[in-house]
Amino acid sequence: MMDPNLIPTMDPNPLPAPYWVFKLLLLVTFFLHILAMNFMLGGAVLALAARWRSGNRENGNRMFFDIAKKLPSLLPATITLGIAPLLFVQVLYGQFFYTSSIIMAWPWLLVLVFLTIAYYGFYYASFQGGQHSGKAGGVMLLSVVLIFIIGFVYSNNLTLSQTPSRWGGKYFANPAGWNLNLSELTLIPRFLHFFTAAVAVGGLLLVLIALAKWKRDGEYARCVFQFGGKAFMYATMAQFLVGIWFLARLPRDMRMLFLGDNTLATILLVVGVAGGIGAIFLMAEALRKENVRLAAYFVSGIMGVVILSMSVMRDVLRDAYLKPYFHPEQFVVKTQWSVFPLFLILFVAGVVLWFAMLKRYGFFAPSKRENPAPSTRISI
Amino acid sequence: MNYPVWDVAFGAGLLIALVAILHVFVSHFAVGGGLFLVLTERKARRNNDTALLNWLKFHTKFFVLVTVVYGAVSGVGIWFTIGLISPLATSNLIHAYVWGWAIEWVFFFIEITAALLYLYGWEKLEARLHEWYGWIYFIAAFASMVIINGIITFMLTSGRWVENHEFWTGFFNPTFFPSLAVRFFISLALAGIYALITASVQKDAALKSRIVRWSAVWIVPSLAILPALGWWYIRKIPAELWASARGPMPTGTHFALLAAVLLTVTFVLALVTLVRPGRLNLAFSLLVALVALGAMGSFEFVREAIRKPYVIGNYLYANSLYATPMPGDGGFSVERIDDVGVLQTAKWLKNRQLTKDNQVEIGREVFRVECESCHTTDSYRGVKRYLALRQWDQNKIQAMLSGLDLMHNGVMPPFAGTDSEREALAAFLTTMQPVTSSPTGVINGKTVFERNCVMCHRVRAEDALFARLPKDPKVASEALKDLPNLFIRMPDLKLSDEERSALVQWVNTQRGGANGTGISSQGGN
Repeated sequence: MMDPNLIPTMDPNPLPAPYWVFKLLLLVTFFLHILAMNFMLGGAVLALAARWRSGNRENGNRMFFDIAKKLPSLLPATITLGIAPLLFVQVLYGQFFYTSSIIMAWPWLLVLVFLTIAYYGFYYASFQGGQHSGKAGGVMLLSVVLIFIIGFVYSNNLTLSQTPSRWGGKYFANPAGWNLNLSELTLIPRFLHFFTAAVAVGGLLLVLIALAKWKRDGEYARCVFQFGGKAFMYATMAQFLVGIWFLARLPRDMRMLFLGDNTLATILLVVGVAGGIGAIFLMAEALRKENVRLAAYFVSGIMGVVILSMSVMRDVLRDAYLKPYFHPEQFVVKTQWSVFPLFLILFVAGVVLWFAMLKRYGFFAPSKRENPAPSTRISI
Repeated sequence: MNYPVWDVAFGAGLLIALVAILHVFVSHFAVGGGLFLVLTERKARRNNDTALLNWLKFHTKFFVLVTVVYGAVSGVGIWFTIGLISPLATSNLIHAYVWGWAIEWVFFFIEITAALLYLYGWEKLEARLHEWYGWIYFIAAFASMVIINGIITFMLTSGRWVENHEFWTGFFNPTFFPSLAVRFFISLALAGIYALITASVQKDAALKSRIVRWSAVWIVPSLAILPALGWWYIRKIPAELWASARGPMPTGTHFALLAAVLLTVTFVLALVTLVRPGRLNLAFSLLVALVALGAMGSFEFVREAIRKPYVIGNYLYANSLYATPMPGDGGFSVERIDDVGVLQTAKWLKNRQLTKDNQVEIGREVFRVECESCHTTDSYRGVKRYLALRQWDQNKIQAMLSGLDLMHNGVMPPFAGTDSEREALAAFLTTMQPVTSSPTGVINGKTVFERNCVMCHRVRAEDALFARLPKDPKVASEALKDLPNLFIRMPDLKLSDEERSALVQWVNTQRGGANGTGISSQGGN
């Protein structure tokens, strides 16, 4: 039996900008975070698959290291892009998020230990260069398993944060914080929904790698394209099963939001499903014609839209779960005009500087990147 | 009370200290180390020092592996940890300073990207552009430090923010600039200290010598200026905050002393490296780093200690109760809980019905929601140990609880709750009391003082006990019968006749300057 008094009261400080500003920032930054996470985790999973699959071992190992080299950048991108939604979720949903985190405090804190180990594991694998030692694969596997666990802990925490009715029972049974949310019916399909998406997007990462190597190393690029493209297709097909499972496990009123009760939610689901189907067919076509550009640009574009719509759906679902307890209209808003514009200016300047840094580095000109002028390396 | 209390067996305070100290030791390196990279690169290029440049590439890798990986993850770790241990304080900090955090995030994003491009750019970029990435990194890292320093110092000295709740008022608080200066110079010293580690594994003795000498340029002047900056910092901290650090439980001053000693040792060790710079080994460089870690940890402990009883100065107590009632506080202020009671206010209680039979159980609950954010029962800041020192019975514990905020010069928040809840807490604490001495034994005045008075009184001429207690033993003993009559906030201890006369006798001995204490009977307030 839920004690309604358990939900903590927010602090007395007003919201320092309108509700929608934080909601928008939360959605945008979460979308970017999940995009980076998908590339990172999916890439790492496919790196392992490439290394250990049967077939051309040479290309498999090459693929492994091509991806491994990118992981020490993709993981900090995931973390850094994850800090912002972590911040904004606390602004809006702090009393739910902190509480569920405390109830499962130890698993939640262990996330950081696992993350640190996984991070160093990625660096280890990337520093192995092209060596064919077996260790890099094992270390990468450890990192992937740890990130897999991190994702699972996140799914536990975020589902628990939106089901306050479970809080009291769990906390009082174990106030030391050794809890999870395993009784949540949607937990496994929800987690798999994220994981499968990551594998699909990992496939797209390989397609992008193939695109970058298409002209210089056609044979290998084709192999990468085939592997990545197929991984994308199979994962996206599997996603339909997982998605249906997830939808079926939702409480009826939540499920019906996506099946007609809520126009926005229904449109988003249709966009997601249609986008997924379209992407599979387009990828199949691209693979058949060996048209890597079609896959890299169009399938990626479609998936960008699909992931964005899924991110918004996730938010709609959270607000539906929290509807009895969360009333945004109750926020007292007092915009901090002395600092909010400064954030906006610095944010825009930061984005411009970020792109400028990547551009000057040659990030957007892959062909040059492969052949740096030797004289400039460590010229004095 | 508002949030569930995470029951950390070994102490929540110890956990946050561990996470935070290891983080700051790396995060400060991330700032000073950034400047070290670019200036060393410039120096190496200007001197055509290829060996130094090659070492710097190696050092960059070390720098990234330490700061971008451990530094960044442990920074998120602090967020996670404070959210678990002080969720209400975190919530307040988020709502009051979200734009500060958001700005910091922009700098952080630039910082991480620039660090990686600087690392990978060694093989790809022309010198000038590469150095530019280093500068961008350093400027972003420094800006990040400026923002976090503003929020951390706000927690210590909230200044006029408590009155107007304005972002910049709290940000540019009284300790903002001295703290920033201290932290920046610590970061410069750490840049040199970490460089010793990678220098120590170099085989080329001449190169090693050059690096060690160059590191000393970063360490020695930075450490030399720190005492002056520390003094400036201390001067800006309000006297009432330092008062608790100078009280009978001087955690703050102990750690300040420890920080000073370890800082001096670091300084000396850094000078020792210059004796034979070419022979520096890994163990010695790690020793320097370890001592510096101790100094840094002690410095952070001082800040934490003098901030008590608050987590946000003059606003929110360490046990997540507001210092004064205000709209939107959910009733979680001491004043309101005194009226309404813990059992009617706290959300996360198993049992709200206090009966004669469940006093201890309810007392345990009150302990959990009101004390456990800082105390454990028998681990870190374990109350069992304190009680063993004092040998109080339940009545005395109950009486003492009414003056918690006076104890140790105000290091603890006041007890919040009704009399019956205080009684229940006392009943629970009594169950942990290992009474070892019988009250019928020989009564020693000093022991009576140490068990009953030392929490608030000190052996000093100006202390009220020594300044005001009548000298006549009989009159004094009579006056001590009714302590609240002497001062309304005094606990009603009900000392026995023997205890009172022993105490009076001892106090008079001290006044006479016996036992070498040399206190005089003048003054008083």
